[in-house]
Amino acid sequence: MTTPSTYSLADVDLSDLDRFRDNEGWAQLDVLRTEDPVHWNPEPAPNSGFWAVTRYEDIWAVDKDSDTFTSEKFVNLEEIDDDLMDIRRSILETDGARHQAMRSLIAREFSPRNLMKNYEGFLRELTKQTVDAALQENEFDFVEKVSADFPIQVLARLLDVPKEDTGQLIAWGNEMVGNTDPDYTDHLLDSPDSEKYKHLPFRSPTTQDVFDYGRGLRDARKGGDGKDLVSMLANKMPTDGIPLSDRDFDNYFLLLVIAGNETTRHAISNSMLGLINQPDQMRYLQEDISRVGTGLEELLRWASPVYHFRRTATRDVELGGKQIKEGDKVVMWFASGNRDEAAFADPYTIDVTRENVDHLTFGKGSPHLCLGNGLARMEIRLMFEELLPRLDSIEVAGEITRVRSNFVNGIKKFPVRVTLR
Amino acid sequence: MTVTQTVVREFEADLVVRSAITVAEDVVELTLAHPAGETLPAWTPGAHIDLMLAEDCVRQYSLCGRSSAADAWTVGVLRTPDSRGGSERVHKLADGDTVRVRGPRNHFPVAPANRYIFVAGGIGITPLLAMIYEVEAAGIDWELHYGGRKKSSMAFTEQLAAYGDRVHLVPEDELGRLDLATILGSPQAGTLVYTCGPEPLLAAVEKACEGWPSGALHLERFAAKKSEGEDENTEFELVLQRSGKTLTVPADKSVFDVVRAAGISVLGSCLEGVCGTCETEVIDGDVEHRDSVLDDDEKEANEVMMICVSRCRSACLTLDL
Repeated sequence: MTTPSTYSLADVDLSDLDRFRDNEGWAQLDVLRTEDPVHWNPEPAPNSGFWAVTRYEDIWAVDKDSDTFTSEKFVNLEEIDDDLMDIRRSILETDGARHQAMRSLIAREFSPRNLMKNYEGFLRELTKQTVDAALQENEFDFVEKVSADFPIQVLARLLDVPKEDTGQLIAWGNEMVGNTDPDYTDHLLDSPDSEKYKHLPFRSPTTQDVFDYGRGLRDARKGGDGKDLVSMLANKMPTDGIPLSDRDFDNYFLLLVIAGNETTRHAISNSMLGLINQPDQMRYLQEDISRVGTGLEELLRWASPVYHFRRTATRDVELGGKQIKEGDKVVMWFASGNRDEAAFADPYTIDVTRENVDHLTFGKGSPHLCLGNGLARMEIRLMFEELLPRLDSIEVAGEITRVRSNFVNGIKKFPVRVTLR
Repeated sequence: MTVTQTVVREFEADLVVRSAITVAEDVVELTLAHPAGETLPAWTPGAHIDLMLAEDCVRQYSLCGRSSAADAWTVGVLRTPDSRGGSERVHKLADGDTVRVRGPRNHFPVAPANRYIFVAGGIGITPLLAMIYEVEAAGIDWELHYGGRKKSSMAFTEQLAAYGDRVHLVPEDELGRLDLATILGSPQAGTLVYTCGPEPLLAAVEKACEGWPSGALHLERFAAKKSEGEDENTEFELVLQRSGKTLTVPADKSVFDVVRAAGISVLGSCLEGVCGTCETEVIDGDVEHRDSVLDDDEKEANEVMMICVSRCRSACLTLDL
């Protein structure tokens, strides 16, 4: 696949969300990587602009240096009032010992070994059911039938929520992460209306519903011996001896509902689209389905479901020849690092035989590295292991539409036509 | 005040629980004595002992009684639901039960000074309590600032009540957090600061003491920060069972590097033992864990390792690769 239309450096604006809806993020990132790898991108008020870091090595350097590039000032482009930070703070926006203590409450549940032991059987079965149901038709929306509900079903299992509530969880996730897309929310982040919800994560009134729901689950499980994530948060003491406050719990629960949902969905959709566009790669995987296991990292690199995360400089520092000032927003464009020619030869081509694909999809070298990376890997692997052997052919059967967001690299509508083996 | 001696041979014995008393919410005070009434090894304030609760469950607790009492040791244990429930096991101990004990060791000894400021957070009071007994007996000036979530969760307040206004109790729900800026605001000559508690408190005390002379602040972390380069690297043999390869890991290369160089695909991200991406199953070998991902129980279990930083103590390591 070749890159879309070209941009000159002066035209680049990574804060223009419409361009991401139109899949014009990549061309801009390409320009920055070649011409201005640490680039000042102004933003419309009330935001103050940010440094766009687009090369693999620079992104890695920022991500691993949490002393210089803190998460405590929040990690998306939105600039949060100081007095609201502690209200909205989750582990994503906590550094240091407290972060470690809170993360380790549930981190080991996501180790490859524990996932395999506790969830692989269940997941395999769920994947089969999802694929069976989707392939009842020979034309369907891939997002709706395959990638959308699958991750949240997994999450529902990890949180041990009742089956009848999963639909609600899906709707909540869409509403919050899609907070810059009018198809997903009535409360657009970049509308004046969002001011009155600025004390809530994603500036979305929906989050209060999620909080209430989460607290209900927690209160019912307090003192019990459940092994689900909610029970762990309800009953385990963080290693620093400071219990989770109600607010800590709210934000943790919310993060779990969101994080495992959108990103895995988009990773699956993007990977599928990539394989449709490069049928030789799909055939190679189909010839020996165990190749999905080894090709998975390349699919993750390709899919790049998260465009960026933000840090904030804690001191004046030089990066890529630019003088960063204390307090400046520094944005790691992971998706760009995954297309860096210096790290991956021929980066716009999927090559599932590529070795040692050290992509940035989950971050790199950071204490904040995606907590659920092992789970995401397992979900995506199982999905393609189950789906690909069933397909004789798959093609795009209508217009693909994308999420209006420079944060998630997401596909909303993905009509496909299939024939089965 | 005595300086700790290096322990040459460590004491290890089954001790009897003489009493197990709940002294605050979720805090039990255990008094341990020798079953035959023999005297226990001498110790100095700041020392801790190992409670060997099960083969794979060893926990450290500070001695919090009077070091002059040679017939019994006292520890205060907060219930913290960790993965294998070390403190849960302690809380289940009752009078007359036996528990295997090793120690004592002291990494937090008290240095001579004219005056002491003690800052305790929660269960971090335990080593400081032993120090207070000794400092008070020696007639040296001191003060204690003791923060906790709420009064009912703060252990040993009864004993501390005897010391009047030397002791400042600060339950967070009534008085907020310890006012470290005021307590430690200006360095005082001849004064040493001793602190123990959760990491955020220690970090805040460290910050508040920035203006103090170096060596004035002494702190004990619940989970000790790993000191880097503590262990010398040695060369060992590496067997990759599934690939049928035998390799050598030289002292200056990581297992991760050697495996990749041999053309075997393994995942990695931070390469510093932090993120957990390179977790690999161990089949055989005595792993020297250097990561901060696995907890003590998992390290002890020796079933998985982070191959970016961890190495092998035995001559040969076999991995499921």
